[in-house]
Amino acid sequence: MDYFLEGLRQALHIFVPPSRELLSIVGLSLLVSGAATLLAAAIGAPLGLWLSVAEFRGRRFLIWLVQTALSIPAVLIGLVVYILVSRRGLLGFMGLLFTPGAMILAQALLATPIIAALTLAALKGQAREARDLAYSLGASRGRMLGTIVRQGRFAFLTAMITGFSRVIGETGMTLMVGGNIKGATRVMTTAISLETMKGNFEIGLALGIVLLVVALLVNAVLQACQGK
Amino acid sequence: MRIEARDLGRTSGGHRILRGVSLDLGGAGVFTVIGPNGAGKTTLLRALALLDKPSAGEILYDGRAASGLSAREKTALRRRMGFVFQHPLLLNGTVIANMRFALKARGRTGAEDAIGRELAALGLAAKRDLDVRLLSGGEKQRLQLARAMVLEPEVLFADEPTANLDPLSARTIEDRLRRMAEAGRTVILTTHNMLQARLFGDRALFLKDGGIVQQGTALQVLERPATLDVAYFSPLTNVVRGRLVHEGGAAILEAGAARIQVVTDAADGPAAAVLRPEDIIVSREPVRSSARNRLAGKVAAVDDLGMIVALRVECGDLSLRVTITRQSLEELGIRPGEDVLLTFKASAVLVFPVS
Repeated sequence: MDYFLEGLRQALHIFVPPSRELLSIVGLSLLVSGAATLLAAAIGAPLGLWLSVAEFRGRRFLIWLVQTALSIPAVLIGLVVYILVSRRGLLGFMGLLFTPGAMILAQALLATPIIAALTLAALKGQAREARDLAYSLGASRGRMLGTIVRQGRFAFLTAMITGFSRVIGETGMTLMVGGNIKGATRVMTTAISLETMKGNFEIGLALGIVLLVVALLVNAVLQACQGK
Repeated sequence: MRIEARDLGRTSGGHRILRGVSLDLGGAGVFTVIGPNGAGKTTLLRALALLDKPSAGEILYDGRAASGLSAREKTALRRRMGFVFQHPLLLNGTVIANMRFALKARGRTGAEDAIGRELAALGLAAKRDLDVRLLSGGEKQRLQLARAMVLEPEVLFADEPTANLDPLSARTIEDRLRRMAEAGRTVILTTHNMLQARLFGDRALFLKDGGIVQQGTALQVLERPATLDVAYFSPLTNVVRGRLVHEGGAAILEAGAARIQVVTDAADGPAAAVLRPEDIIVSREPVRSSARNRLAGKVAAVDDLGMIVALRVECGDLSLRVTITRQSLEELGIRPGEDVLLTFKASAVLVFPVS
């Protein structure tokens, strides 16, 4: 126990004043996961919305695919992205391997089905009602979709926050495609993993505290939204 | 606007919800769609209102087939119609925000006068700034109607608008619908209340298992039910099950010890007779008349329905409902437990063969 408390004491010391390295790690984490979430939301939210209102053959099949994508292990996504962005891969010409770009891509792939599935689940009942409401009042298709988004805005936010929480805490996949390069692709989770293996528990704990604080803040926002 | 349906069908999740429905409606008046739960009433209304696509058949609006219309043309048609859902669909927010939303959905603003008038007509003037979550069920339904009405639709679809509502809300809604019909517009209403259909008086349609069983005036559907299912829907109606036999040119329905003379083309065999409670004459003494049926019975119950009174009379194995005016009840001095005679014409009895 003393051992843990000592680590904790040293960890708190790291914050005053915070080292540039710590700030860059935290900053990159938020940047990568934030960008990945936005990218995933740009695809996942419209996909979930579409699946919740549209009536077409193969809708059930697509929903099944999205649900299945939820359970794809992150490490598999890491592998696929690695192959894609490695020099001889399909996207090799972009030189993304071991850059934040590759990490954003992998994290976005991980978050997209989460956001799509949660949007779909939240809107399934709501979207049809909002569609009926808008159409019965003579709204155009565009305005009908606007009504659904308006009625379901908290559902979108909840889906995004859940997606963000998932990717900011992701380690293995991010390490595979990012490489945990100091000052370039080191994020909180990969740093914790490395520092722990090196025996530097205080840095690991410090970053762990930051992760916790981020999680607390994010969920406070979530709760505030749902309380609405 | 004239709406015609031709051989309309809809299948959902492998179930046939609507089949072979053809109808023609429009013009001033209330058109009532009657039927039990699950008959396809809502599905029919939603298809006619262009909210769902039918899986078979065609709907024509002023002679133009819906299947050939562009999204823009469909929106234009929807703007001439209104819909009141059975479970009120309201936007999160205040009463007034819902009213304004209706206008905004069509890219219109202003019309505050019209909003105020409609809210007042449905008794919601005092609630305009209230959050819709604080409204009662009846108020929500009235708001939904007010929101549809402020858009001045030519045709209004109302899906069981008064089901489970308090009497005041139901009356307010019925009055508003009747006024709309009187103003020369079309109201299409679903209900499983036969009396409500008769109240509006106009045309009616009876739907069962997704198909039309009977179509005509509300009075015809009520007084001359085409099938036993329709007859069962009339409140208080007497249904007597028995066996039909022909004896010396007369058709007799035997139900236990009771023998009821009827007029029918139906062949001998199991049958059900339907007899409306207002077609039965109650008397103390035998009346000399052309009516072929006279049963002696004992009054088992007297139910006060206001202007009229419903009696339950036990005639041997039969238990018949009879309605008479309050005046008749007082003149005859009828009380439970007393003996009375019931007289009715053979032609007043409708006979349906049952299998």
